Amino acid sequence: MLAHFWVAFVAFLVAIVLGEWQMYVRSPLHAWVNNPEHYYRSVTAHGTVMAYVLPTLVAMGFGYSICELALKRPLIGLRFAWIGFWLVVAGTVMAALTVAGGKASVLYTFYPPMIASSFYYIGVVLVVVGSWIWVALMALNLRAWRKEHPGAPVPLAMFGNVAGAYLWAWTSVGAAIELLVLILPVSLGFKSTIDAGLSRVFFSWTLHAIVYFWLMPAYIAFYTIVPRAIGGRLYSDTMGRVAFVLFLVFSMPIGIHHLFADPQVGAGFKFVHAVMTAMVSVPTLLTVFTIVASVEIAGRLRGGRGLFGWVKALPWDNPMMLAVTFSFVMLGFGGAGGIINMSYQLNETIHNTQWVTGHFHLIFAGAIVIMYFMIAYDLWPQLTRCAPLPARLVKAQLWLWFVGMMVLSMPWHLVGLLGMPRRMAYYDYSHPALQPQAWTVTASTLGGLLLVISAVLFVYVLARARSNAETPVTFTFSLAANPSERTPAALNTFGLWVAMMIGLTIVNYGYPIAQLAVLPQTSVPAIPIGGP
Amino acid sequence: MYAWGNPWFRWSVVSLAALIVLSFLVGFVLLPSVQPDYTASGIWASICRAAGLPGNWGDSSSTVSKGQPTTGVVLVAAMAEPSSGDAVGRGATIAVQQCSMCHGAQGISAANAPNLAGQYPEVVIKQLHDYKRGDRASTLMQALARNLSDRDIADIAAYYDSLPKARTAPARYDETSAPALVRVGDPLRNIAPCIACHGGTDHKLGAPWLEGMPKEYLVVQLKDFKGGMRRNDSHGQMRNMTRQMSSTEIEQVADFYARRSTAGEGR
Repeated sequence: MLAHFWVAFVAFLVAIVLGEWQMYVRSPLHAWVNNPEHYYRSVTAHGTVMAYVLPTLVAMGFGYSICELALKRPLIGLRFAWIGFWLVVAGTVMAALTVAGGKASVLYTFYPPMIASSFYYIGVVLVVVGSWIWVALMALNLRAWRKEHPGAPVPLAMFGNVAGAYLWAWTSVGAAIELLVLILPVSLGFKSTIDAGLSRVFFSWTLHAIVYFWLMPAYIAFYTIVPRAIGGRLYSDTMGRVAFVLFLVFSMPIGIHHLFADPQVGAGFKFVHAVMTAMVSVPTLLTVFTIVASVEIAGRLRGGRGLFGWVKALPWDNPMMLAVTFSFVMLGFGGAGGIINMSYQLNETIHNTQWVTGHFHLIFAGAIVIMYFMIAYDLWPQLTRCAPLPARLVKAQLWLWFVGMMVLSMPWHLVGLLGMPRRMAYYDYSHPALQPQAWTVTASTLGGLLLVISAVLFVYVLARARSNAETPVTFTFSLAANPSERTPAALNTFGLWVAMMIGLTIVNYGYPIAQLAVLPQTSVPAIPIGGP
Repeated sequence: MYAWGNPWFRWSVVSLAALIVLSFLVGFVLLPSVQPDYTASGIWASICRAAGLPGNWGDSSSTVSKGQPTTGVVLVAAMAEPSSGDAVGRGATIAVQQCSMCHGAQGISAANAPNLAGQYPEVVIKQLHDYKRGDRASTLMQALARNLSDRDIADIAAYYDSLPKARTAPARYDETSAPALVRVGDPLRNIAPCIACHGGTDHKLGAPWLEGMPKEYLVVQLKDFKGGMRRNDSHGQMRNMTRQMSSTEIEQVADFYARRSTAGEGR
């Protein structure tokens, strides 16, 4: 588990420096980068690490930890877990070297008809296959636990963990089909044309739900760690389960909202996907409500009175309290922006602008990654047998991350509304129309600098933790305010929800995929990237 | 668990089904019904259109004119692959007889015709086919290409591919002496950098090697693209780039590429 976290965070550190470099070279502080390919190479590396490597490893490491800590039994299949880990590491190294060599500057979303070196795609496939081993192990461990505890409610942390695993298993199928059936044959030289439209539809299958796979560890932390860490109780265990199964059903078959501007998908399906996307705000709102209620319990337990008196009574010097507050503020802004993105009509104004970049940095790099930090801080004494981490440094790190992320992403939202396109290697600030927006890029660059400092601090805090050979305090998950003896079978098992997830996928994706697959003359010549 | 009597099962399935039916009704029936172009041919046609399957792809009775053809050549990666020595030999025979007078015995022209030594084979193939079909205009080249078979064209391309290039390194992004248009283009006028396709940062299939080309030839071609006299760039890529370029910029870019020749090339 420790190995997972270390690889994840070291890769994260490298990628965040790349991200800051990207912001720097295109800000007015630096002359135009003469070779945009270097910029896109960096974007590809940043995206691949942040989107595939970091969250996958955190989810895997956290998943294995939950398995042992929540089920209170050793992990079954430890050897396979190591095989999965090494597959992820091998895939990461393979993809990273290919990107570094300039042979795969296609961005992490692949974008056919651009075709990279096959080593890049095979590297990504290895990462995904490694994570599938984790999915299988999570399912097996839960089954073994159930056998020993027939009828008992699965601990909430494990329930969310396995929901995340099943979600990922089905989600990754889209990109896997795209890679294996459409992209790799071209990349390996068996074909010279590719059906770019169909590829994009398959990628959209993965592209949105992958976000909820990133989100799951953060939500598990909200429900099962935050209330305990701030001295409260979880307001409702059932609400947590409902949120997890709603994510399972609705997060996947909604990805066509990424293709609103794509001509190959019919308008009707775009609308249906917009409706289903709106549905995923439900589990998020449920979560915000439940966690705020749990926090209120903590405030009242500490003597807070009155309508808002409990807010003052909260343990504001507790890093977890700080983190969950920051996380919710960023989730609020990012979520509101997300609702604009998913609206079929409003999307027109911000499609492919810096607004989108601002949105997902706020949600993922802000609200979610700050919880990844807390997961690591919280688990570290268990994993390394170190003393609790220095709270002052941890709080400084969280503040830097929050302020940095706001300074980074708010200017992006602003200029996105003004129409600044995303993914540009340089902007012509000498042009009178762009000149007034130049300061925003400088501001984002400075925000990015704070994030780099915060990330360095994060890794420093983890690295200087030394084992003091004492047995750590037993790790506990938060207790529910009203622990119920029995949980409805529907909220203790996954069969119904997995069936609904697959059914909804077939309804929402079946026709567009089938239609594009049989439509003749949809392939275009591939454009190999990394030529002479 | 999976029984109708279980309220969890019943309500989950019923609400999901209701949501699906409702959103499909709105997306496929209600919304198209308020769009005049969707409802023109009835409710079923509008549903089909919302599903991404219009009744007919492009109305044959519409008044959109087809425009002149640009090229009949579809570029495929196989065209860029090196050929056998046999093909090079045959190509050499044809080239010495028919091409060397203008393009030079070694493919380096002393007559302001483009240099062909080391030119990418798919470029030569495409241009010869375009001359042959009349998609690219030149009194001389159209007459010469008319009698070439597909195999002749492929062989000529193989021959020129086998000759050493006038200069072996492309212009690079870090050469600050290069004009800005060559290195970084002009994003606000939608002009991509030359080296994004013609080698330097990337080479795209079908884009010719430009280093060492005669300046006069380059200027004429850029102006022809700009004015629409030359239109065999299949996606209008060169016409779109040049339309925004001033005469001075055309001169500068052409001059830069022409100057990149080695000494002793006859100019």
